Amino acid sequence: MTDHPSRRGLLAGAAALGLAAPGVSWAFERDGNRKVLVFCGNQQVPVLDPHVRYDWSTRMIQQGVYDALLKYEGDPPRIVPWLAERHEVSADGLAYTFHLVGNAKFHNGDPVDAEAVRFSFERGLRLNAGIAWMLKDFLKPENIVAVDARTVRFTLDRPFAPFISYVPWWYIVNPKQVMANQDGNDLGRKWLTENGAGSGPFRLRRFDGNALIHLDAVPGYWKGWPMADGERVSGIIYRIIREAAPRKAALQRREVDIITNITPDDAEQLARVPGVVVENHKGSTTFGIKFNCQQGPTADINLRKAIAYAFDYDSLLAVSNGAAVLMTSPFPASMAGHIDVPGIPRKDLDKARDFLKRSGTPNGGIELEYVHVQGLEEARRIGLALLDSLRALDIRVNIVGQPWPTMTSRGSKPETAPNMMSIYVTPVGTDPDTVAYQYHRASWGLYYGTAHYENAEVSRWIDEARGETDNAKRMALYARIQTQIVADQPELFGMVANRLWARRDYVRGFAFSPVRFTGEIDLYPLWAVG
Amino acid sequence: MLFGLVCLTFVIANVAPSDPAALAAGPDAGRSQIEQARRDYGLDKPLPEQFLRYVTDLAQGNFGRSIATGRSVGTDLARYFPATLELVILAMLLGVLLGVPLGVISALRKDGPADHATRIFAVSGIALPPFWFGLLLQLAFATWMGLLPTSGRLSVFTEPSEPITGLLLVDSLLRGNTALFREALSHIILPAIVLSLPCLASILRVNRSEMVEALRMDYVVAARAHGVTPWRIVMVHALKNAMLPTLAIIGLRWGWMMSSTVLVETVFDWPGIGLYAVSSAIAGDFKPVMGVTLIVGLNFMVANLIVDLLYGVLDPRLRRA
Repeated sequence: MTDHPSRRGLLAGAAALGLAAPGVSWAFERDGNRKVLVFCGNQQVPVLDPHVRYDWSTRMIQQGVYDALLKYEGDPPRIVPWLAERHEVSADGLAYTFHLVGNAKFHNGDPVDAEAVRFSFERGLRLNAGIAWMLKDFLKPENIVAVDARTVRFTLDRPFAPFISYVPWWYIVNPKQVMANQDGNDLGRKWLTENGAGSGPFRLRRFDGNALIHLDAVPGYWKGWPMADGERVSGIIYRIIREAAPRKAALQRREVDIITNITPDDAEQLARVPGVVVENHKGSTTFGIKFNCQQGPTADINLRKAIAYAFDYDSLLAVSNGAAVLMTSPFPASMAGHIDVPGIPRKDLDKARDFLKRSGTPNGGIELEYVHVQGLEEARRIGLALLDSLRALDIRVNIVGQPWPTMTSRGSKPETAPNMMSIYVTPVGTDPDTVAYQYHRASWGLYYGTAHYENAEVSRWIDEARGETDNAKRMALYARIQTQIVADQPELFGMVANRLWARRDYVRGFAFSPVRFTGEIDLYPLWAVG
Repeated sequence: MLFGLVCLTFVIANVAPSDPAALAAGPDAGRSQIEQARRDYGLDKPLPEQFLRYVTDLAQGNFGRSIATGRSVGTDLARYFPATLELVILAMLLGVLLGVPLGVISALRKDGPADHATRIFAVSGIALPPFWFGLLLQLAFATWMGLLPTSGRLSVFTEPSEPITGLLLVDSLLRGNTALFREALSHIILPAIVLSLPCLASILRVNRSEMVEALRMDYVVAARAHGVTPWRIVMVHALKNAMLPTLAIIGLRWGWMMSSTVLVETVFDWPGIGLYAVSSAIAGDFKPVMGVTLIVGLNFMVANLIVDLLYGVLDPRLRRA
């Protein structure tokens, strides 16, 4: 008798499973005779407004829904004309004039004209959020002029050579739609959080930034499509699965077609799964251990040098399963102006001990705090390698995992910044200024400025390079900047880790560009066979 | 109690070592952007003033704005709560519908193989970490057997229609959409099992021990002597009395399950308030976390109030008292 309930329970369970199982569906789904691809990542998209927020997942969707005057493409990345078919720069480097294509249309059919461009840049500057930092010190809203329907001119306050490298991230919104949905004086901010007003290759169909975003391909996209008409997808879904294991499982059972946020170990495993292809590309995201250059033992340059020479750099490659290259400069190799800085530290215990002797703690015997992002296994393992390396100098390492907001908050002041903090930084453009400026005095306290590094001469060279219109002179300045930063050792220059994705083998058109953020890809060229 | 919770959540949110204004302004924001965000969100005001404003807003049903999205937390809670409610109701149903009969069977077969088996099951149910158990089920039922989906509330290709109750299983039945019902069921079944297991185990154990006690009582012996059928003795006399402590457990477990959704919803990407709280906490966005805490606290209180009222229904002596 007692067995009966269990048996019934089992039968009920089996019935429930049987009832439920037919509900399972598989990517890629067909919409009519076209396919819908599913891209899966771990990061939500809280705000779609292109002038308010950007991170990899947000920008990937923004790039699908909106167009900019110019666009980054390829590896090595290059800037190609998009809404602007050409542009000119005045001899003094102050005026940039863009000539728009004649056939671009917003999704509602309105033309993309110079006024829309002017409005979009003005909106970005006035909201003073997200991307505003890129241009706000050099461009005033009143100095953006729609010369005629297809010409727009930007007059900068002073020469700013990196200007063009930031333009691809300034997306153009439809002013009529935005202003029609304005709430008070918010310039449409509330409405654009979950709605689109763009001219990009995809239009927004469904938006739940916490779970999934469904984009429909625009059949008559003004720029055309890079694949044959029959191969174009009906749409793309960005699905959020936060945990790594279910994300991998979803790819294996074809619930999704591409996944990102995979570790080197995951990549190795997935590469062995039939029908799965791993995309492994050299990126531009640098990993460094930022020293607190103002407070505590690491304010001493000799101690910083000692640590840099004691560290086992091969451990970085081991942690990445070889999918990384060591940094040879503060700039990643994909960056214009990059040089291999001679004498960048590699493990040399004799040199490490020499520097330690010259430091304020010649015999070691100290403990240093190493802070990494909580839950980031690679960064924790690098902490263990650091701990192991510094034993030779009798320096103990306290490895602490903290949530990212706590880390950035601690790093905002020299008094609270830990001795060492592991940071990944992805440059937002290809101009060397995007990396160099991390070492400017003005970057103190920002997440990449947690070293609180100060060298007045370096800051002056960076300012000088920003305003220099002669490219050869600029690059010479950047070479000097890189050499000096390495000499000052504000951080332990680590590695540039590869970017990893895994996709089903029927997915085509995957186009990598190192200028994109960690998991970000260009959705526009994707399609599927079969 | 609720005011205590309000105070506690406010203090925790404000002692957390992060700068919400910096988070609102974005990673590359300069000083002026951060200060502007601070003003926009009223974070430049002294803490007592911020607290007073928070409490006043709460009294008017306003949970504040999320720093990450700028959206109203109340609107977000209304959007995500039905998913959590549906999950918790189903998990509770599983817990009660399986826990109570198994408890009765264990008590009737005390120290027999069935009793030992349910004891092992109950101890495992309480001891298994939901996070780990959830991943295990995903691996077994989704990856290996391919029977059920890994996560989510519906397939990504299914666009839910306008909600009636917000509970997909109920809405699909009300609309007569059996395909949607099956799809929703296939998605909810694994998270519901994971969420229900500790609840089921507690109910089982409490119900068993109360039934063992009840079956020893004089009124049961008297009923047997009067020739009352065993079924009636168990179901009408003993179980009714054994249900009082079980009800207390159900009330407590309701609140516990509401808070446990934080783990289960993360593993299964279930778009409820638990996942909303986790995503917000990771981003250092504390208004949503405070909102979710209050909702969970409120649920806990209401569940226990209902249990107190049910005591009276089951035991008339308590009504008179």
